[in-house]
Amino acid sequence: MAQATQNPIRVNSSRRSSVIRNLVAWAGIVPFLIFVILFLFWPASSLITGSFQNQAGAFTLQNIIDLFTPSIMDAYMLSIQISLVTAIGGGIFGFMLAYAVIQGGLPRWVRTALTTFSGVASNFAGVPLAFAFIATLGHTGFLTALFADKLGIDIYNLGFNLYNFWGLALTYMYFQFPLMVLIMAPALDGLKREWREASENLGAGSYQYWRYIALPILWPSLLGSTILLFGNAFGAYATAYALTRTFNIVTVLIGDQISGNVLFNPNLGYALAFGMIVIMAISIGLYTWLQRRTARWLQ
Amino acid sequence: MAFLELTDIRKQFGQAVAVEDFNLKVDRGEFVSFLGPSGCGKTTTLRMIAGFEIPTEGSVTIDGADITNKAPNQRNVGMVFQSYALFPNMTVAQNIGFGLRIRKESESAIKERVDEMLALIHLEQKGHSYPSQLSGGQQQRVALARALAIRPQVLLLDEPLSALDAKIRVSLRAEIRAIQRKLGITAIYVTHDQEEALSISDRIVVMSQGHMEQVGTPFEIYNFPQTAFVASFVGTLNTTTAEVVDSAKGILQIDGARLATAEKLDGRQKGDKVTIAIRPERFSFASEQKKANVVDCRIENITFLGSIVRIQVSIGSGKYFMDTFNNPFLELPKVGDKDQVTCSREAVLVLKD
Repeated sequence: MAQATQNPIRVNSSRRSSVIRNLVAWAGIVPFLIFVILFLFWPASSLITGSFQNQAGAFTLQNIIDLFTPSIMDAYMLSIQISLVTAIGGGIFGFMLAYAVIQGGLPRWVRTALTTFSGVASNFAGVPLAFAFIATLGHTGFLTALFADKLGIDIYNLGFNLYNFWGLALTYMYFQFPLMVLIMAPALDGLKREWREASENLGAGSYQYWRYIALPILWPSLLGSTILLFGNAFGAYATAYALTRTFNIVTVLIGDQISGNVLFNPNLGYALAFGMIVIMAISIGLYTWLQRRTARWLQ
Repeated sequence: MAFLELTDIRKQFGQAVAVEDFNLKVDRGEFVSFLGPSGCGKTTTLRMIAGFEIPTEGSVTIDGADITNKAPNQRNVGMVFQSYALFPNMTVAQNIGFGLRIRKESESAIKERVDEMLALIHLEQKGHSYPSQLSGGQQQRVALARALAIRPQVLLLDEPLSALDAKIRVSLRAEIRAIQRKLGITAIYVTHDQEEALSISDRIVVMSQGHMEQVGTPFEIYNFPQTAFVASFVGTLNTTTAEVVDSAKGILQIDGARLATAEKLDGRQKGDKVTIAIRPERFSFASEQKKANVVDCRIENITFLGSIVRIQVSIGSGKYFMDTFNNPFLELPKVGDKDQVTCSREAVLVLKD
């Protein structure tokens, strides 16, 4: 009988402590939830609402219709192009670098140095980055002058231009490839030495190992990080603005619409941002679909 | 002529010598285990057979062909890894068929062989599963099937059961041995588990610090260890230092008691020190009639181990283990009792210096 009365008490107390543990766990993420609501969902919802309003606050589809005007479509195309080029270029370069330091058998300090650099460089963007490139590779930049003085080579005469599409792409690459290094390093660490050895043991060469094993295993990470790099470049504003001022990518157009100059139309700015959200959503949807098709083993 | 032969193998990593003076001849269809503690060089030796390490000196031949410097993918050797090393992006069937696909065999031949291998490991229903959907034991069976699918000349197993729980380990090692016997394949098995090596092998190579300590059948290794290391590493063994009393008659003195050995003590003088070893199960309580090799002892501790009861006795100042079968109808002595134990002359092993 004594036992029969003790058991419910134990059950009740264990239930109570489990509820308390649950509450504490939820309390831990409350600040994050508040942050997300205040700085993601609220701005996003007001942005989407604003896209369908005129400046007087009335409902309109004009802002959305305006997105299809040639100049805005060109801006989207340019943004997509620069993002694609730098995501793929930075992705390949960053992956090769990460591979060299993690799987390539280089000394440990090289990896430490590269990851430290990548941590800093991946966050180095905006006006300081633009200034650094202008000071280095601008018309009167340090390297431009060095090539001209010491080697007699005018890189601008040879076709290089920091202020065109490829110059901007080069500048973006400075923060794109380090981001790829940071993302791919853990994925490459996850490639087990035994997989390579097992494949060799079964007769495979290096190409077959990469073709059938390593790349398929890395594929979700590669795809995910390329999308991230794409988004990183797609949302960049200050670097392009500071470097070229007239380079019409979408973010610069948005800046023009909301910063109060002659093009002032914040609702069109919202619509432009809404368009960016749609493009990123399509990219992420495409990523999810591709990953599901190609990496069934992860599911 | 041996099927697999390792001759004068030496492997050095920088200044560290991992394997030295390694000579081994393995017959076709033989199952040989490398047994030793971590860092003794057993896996390094296995990896030299697989081609993942190249010997600093010496040669490896299979069926008369020198493969010492051949790349791993140029050798026809199958390997099962400790961590299974299954390709996570491939199904069970794709894993098993991978080596055949690399060899550009026809799809029908691959399918036939994969089905055959799945039947061999009793996983016919799991061909379309991914490794992550299998248990550890199932994964290791797939790894075995993958290694066997390419019809290797030699099968190498690098501690294949060490990541599994005890019960599965026992059943899987029997399965591995049965498959090896059925296929008649030459196998080299690396383990640090003496019970595993004793139960599965035709012969065992006991290794320590890069050297071969002893090569022999499980019976020889267990019953006649040649060195103190083998004696201490394989099974439970009482070892102690004894003094030679009469080398001609094999009389020794330990802790104030006299024991006779059947082993020759040639070249030993009276007063010389030798290391002797006695298995716990070779001791028994002395009956009244028995006179030879009977020594007085005191019961220090009794441990019940299921089928075995391990009794610790003190003889003089030394402590020794004695194993006896568990018999619920026989009364055991009590801790603190004084008694007499005995062992045959043959049970007293004199180890090499």
